[in-house]
Amino acid sequence: MERIECQWCRLQNDPGTASCLACGAPLDGRAVVTDSGWREAPRLRDMTEFRFAGSVVQVEGELVPVAEIALGHGDAVYFEHHLLLWKDEATPVAAMPTQGGIRRILGGMPFVLTMAYGPGRVAFSRDSPGELVVLPLHPGMELDVREHAFLLASHTIGYSFVRVQGLANVLHGGNGMYLDRFVTTSAPGLLVLHGYGDVFERSLGPGEKIMVEPGGFLYKDASVTMQAVQLPVRTGLLRRGMYLAEITGPGRVGIQSMYVHHHAE
Amino acid sequence: MAESAPEGQVVCRYCRTTHPPAGSSCPRCGAALDIRASVSRSGWIEQPPIRDLARIQFGASRVQIEGTQLPVADFTLVGDEWIYFSHHVLLWLEPSVRITNTALAGAWNRMLSGMPLVMLEARGPGHVALSDNHAGELIAIPLMPGQQVWTREHRFLTATGNVSYTWEQTGVWYVTGSGDDRETHYPLGQFGDLFLARRTPGLLLLHSPGNTFLRDLGPGETVLVQPSALLYRDVTVSTHLHLEYPSGTQGLSWRSSFSQRHVWLRLIGPGRVAVSSVFRHSGSEAITNNSPATVQRW
Repeated sequence: MERIECQWCRLQNDPGTASCLACGAPLDGRAVVTDSGWREAPRLRDMTEFRFAGSVVQVEGELVPVAEIALGHGDAVYFEHHLLLWKDEATPVAAMPTQGGIRRILGGMPFVLTMAYGPGRVAFSRDSPGELVVLPLHPGMELDVREHAFLLASHTIGYSFVRVQGLANVLHGGNGMYLDRFVTTSAPGLLVLHGYGDVFERSLGPGEKIMVEPGGFLYKDASVTMQAVQLPVRTGLLRRGMYLAEITGPGRVGIQSMYVHHHAE
Repeated sequence: MAESAPEGQVVCRYCRTTHPPAGSSCPRCGAALDIRASVSRSGWIEQPPIRDLARIQFGASRVQIEGTQLPVADFTLVGDEWIYFSHHVLLWLEPSVRITNTALAGAWNRMLSGMPLVMLEARGPGHVALSDNHAGELIAIPLMPGQQVWTREHRFLTATGNVSYTWEQTGVWYVTGSGDDRETHYPLGQFGDLFLARRTPGLLLLHSPGNTFLRDLGPGETVLVQPSALLYRDVTVSTHLHLEYPSGTQGLSWRSSFSQRHVWLRLIGPGRVAVSSVFRHSGSEAITNNSPATVQRW
């Protein structure tokens, strides 16, 4: 029988499967693409399960979804400590220092992440309506994510951060001083983000541009560039300038419909 | 309120425009047509959320509603057609879309009450997408020539260029405290927005932070609603403050400033009103002065 290709992560699934084994996307519908070419991130159904390595993730709830993970032996995930919703008492956790400690503190980013090891159960959620964006990463991928959007990543994914270059980008880009960078080398991994509101993804061709409210940016391939650009308009009583992020392909870019507005700080 | 339609046409229960019966959603407001209307025993009609990817036509352009939790209004602007909106709802746009801005009158008053001072105008051709920053629903209101609606402040998302915009004082307020503690409250907001389609049909989009319910009031019919829940109303519906004091509330608090009272907005028909299920409670400080109001002491 013909296998079913997941419209979100492209995994070939066994016939008769209701949701993708690697990302949890429903397999019984077509990809939802808007007239302007944005693909909606799949809404994961309540209690959907998917896997990575020897672990199983279950998504619970739909308004502020929870990611519950049954970690297999030898597996681990890392995360920001305040995202832990609950854990089994016996599940080991350890601190995972990151580079650039003092600079990250100044940038409002956690400089110590937490790692939970299998076997054991642990669950995560962010505290706002939205959806989980599940991104299985193949070997050799690099993805940049806005700060405070990352929910968890498997231990096979390398974590670093890139400093947003250029004063205009820092001041007006709306993404703070840093972007989280997730890199896979030889092994695949699982990255889960929390998108506020609804999440949309678009693939830009080489040189193709789109202008995005900086607070709406969620993630991008490392090959995609982002530049703060001033619009020819003035806002507010002080007639301040308004900036958007000019995003240029090639590569994927993801946005969220609920955002922090950064028009003219 | 029953409305008749020309032969071969149907009237949308929600926006009252006529259109051919084909299709699963109203082409003017996006409401689902293939579901049964949900009407409460008291006559409130539940506005069905606009389905993901529903399209709404206006002029030669259209808007597609995308997402369900915090939906995005993705406009395809054709030719020189344009929309206007507050700058903080702009989510993304194509470089081909021209953005300009216009200042609004009454800047100082608008700034004091937290209203936008400047509207952006986006002109086609191209795509531009808007979203509010709160979970809820988008409400599309097609306006026929000469039709005007009043909307609560901060509910406006966008309107087509042929819809004129102005604003007015709500005239609904009350005062609590005295001396340095004196505070004036505007439970309906200090200002309300007025939108009017003059010569050609237009489209108004609102953001409702919750579920939305509609009701048609007959002439002289009244209903009390939480002031901050009001989403929009026909301009034929009049409003004023209504204060209600339940019986048996003396001695409930040692504070002399405490008052167990309900602050209502009294709506008087004829006309259509819409409320949102999300609202703000008005506190329990004693009221020392207020705008013209009816009072009920039980």
